[in-house]
Amino acid sequence: MTKIVRDIAYVRSGDKGDVCTAGLIARAPADYAALKASVTPAAVKSLYGDWVRGDVHCYPMDNIEAVVVVMERALGGGATKTLRLDQTGKSLGHALLRLPVVG
Amino acid sequence: MKKVIRLGAGSGFWGDAMDPAVELLERGELDYLCFDFLAELTMALLQRQKLKNPAMGYVPDAVTYMNTMLKTARDRGTKLISNGGGVNPRAAAERIAEGARAAGLQGTRIALVEGDDLLHKLDELIAQRLPMVNMDTGDSDFAAIRSRVVSANVYTDSTGIVDGLAGGADVVVAGRVSDNAVYVGPLAHEFGWARDAAHVNRLASAVTLGHIVECASACTGGMSSRFSEMPDMGRVGFPIVEFSADGSAEITKLQGTGGRVDLFTIKEHLVYEIADPRSYLMPDAVADFTSLKLEQVGEDRVRVSGITGRPAPDMLKLVVGYQDGWIGESMAFFPWPQAFDRAVKARQTMLERFERMGLEASQVHFDFIGVNMLHGPGAPKPDPGVANQLPEVGLRCAVRTRTAEEADKVRRAGSHLWIMGPGGTSFGTPMKPRPVISLWPTLIPRSFVDQKTEILVS
Repeated sequence: MTKIVRDIAYVRSGDKGDVCTAGLIARAPADYAALKASVTPAAVKSLYGDWVRGDVHCYPMDNIEAVVVVMERALGGGATKTLRLDQTGKSLGHALLRLPVVG
Repeated sequence: MKKVIRLGAGSGFWGDAMDPAVELLERGELDYLCFDFLAELTMALLQRQKLKNPAMGYVPDAVTYMNTMLKTARDRGTKLISNGGGVNPRAAAERIAEGARAAGLQGTRIALVEGDDLLHKLDELIAQRLPMVNMDTGDSDFAAIRSRVVSANVYTDSTGIVDGLAGGADVVVAGRVSDNAVYVGPLAHEFGWARDAAHVNRLASAVTLGHIVECASACTGGMSSRFSEMPDMGRVGFPIVEFSADGSAEITKLQGTGGRVDLFTIKEHLVYEIADPRSYLMPDAVADFTSLKLEQVGEDRVRVSGITGRPAPDMLKLVVGYQDGWIGESMAFFPWPQAFDRAVKARQTMLERFERMGLEASQVHFDFIGVNMLHGPGAPKPDPGVANQLPEVGLRCAVRTRTAEEADKVRRAGSHLWIMGPGGTSFGTPMKPRPVISLWPTLIPRSFVDQKTEILVS
């Protein structure tokens, strides 16, 4: 069966204005290369469709084997005015665990 | 000078549990207990309360906490540092001083830190031709929202807290200092750091440690992806930072408390709500989170070292809150069998009601609860064959409107479904419309901000 990011990483996400930020942490050092290869701006954009309307940046953190995903215009306007129940993007980041593992 | 300063995290947000903070104060042998009470929206809510009553505008918990803990804190020699002054640190400090007098703690020194509230200086800023560009949207038409502004607070650095401590404060109550300034301030004071190149890595280190612990239990097992493995979370221990003069630190918690401190609980919070990890921008310093090293050095004990950084930025973040219409919301829940089909038909019925009622909304949003409410297009596309086998499905509707009356049409249309909707539906209590405060984050030069510290003596 194809591996998904859930099999190799933990996640925590939140908000800053209309930006949703999610940190993905490799469960084991050996998983880190695959995590970096699997979580790309293009993969993230295509996963969320019109819920992420701005640019996506993926920042590697080699020192702790993690990738920080920053999604702009991703919370329906931001916590105070979004129509979503998940106002601060705490749940939203968990969808990243569905991305297929490549490499 | 002490070699190691012990700081405890007393609160991660307004609404956090107080008992872990009291436990830390009693058993933690702390030099400082630090409290973050503010979120982005909080300042606007507090400003509205102050408008109604000029004696309000602070976080009520901030006063309750200090009055509850002050005697023990003074006995133990622990200083209490918070940003719970909100938009009225002076009133908070006065209430704390009254509490101290009532408890027989005469001579308690309470420092209040002001200068972050620029609500009444906005026109001065505009007259100085500051661009006031919205950092989130790129919008530069600030004039379009000027008349609806309710709050304007700038994220300030820890210098006001340092001044308060230099003045012998037992308690410091600040307004919108950055969340981690309540940790950076005590460290800068204790170690006597100048704001110069020689101390930049240590300031960056304090910023980083502040970031890791500022949400309290969020680095000791709370919110963890491994929550199922975390012991006794209802009795979780809040974190303690033991910070050394060289800028390294160890994070731990009290023995016998719930939760855990390990490499993953620290990593999980290190990556939380940050942008580029090489440039964690705070008013006290810019920290490079990719420079640090984590080591598990004991049970529930992680060492953080090697942090480097850059000097504090010249621009500070100003967050302006303004009135921006209303939100109306409704929910309904449908049982098996065919729960998903019922929800789809109920959505259609709501849309027909909106048409009949002439709803004027700028946005109309529907979620299928149990199917795609949390992940939207990131959830698998609902397959009716599967979704109709679910034991229950909900429908949530939310709309943005200009007025409360329009927003209330959603509550009414949702209630109409009680009888004109599908059988077997449950609704819960209808929700009232809520006003929207939108935020306009922008950057202003540091020179426009004048922090002031004053000490009250009880």
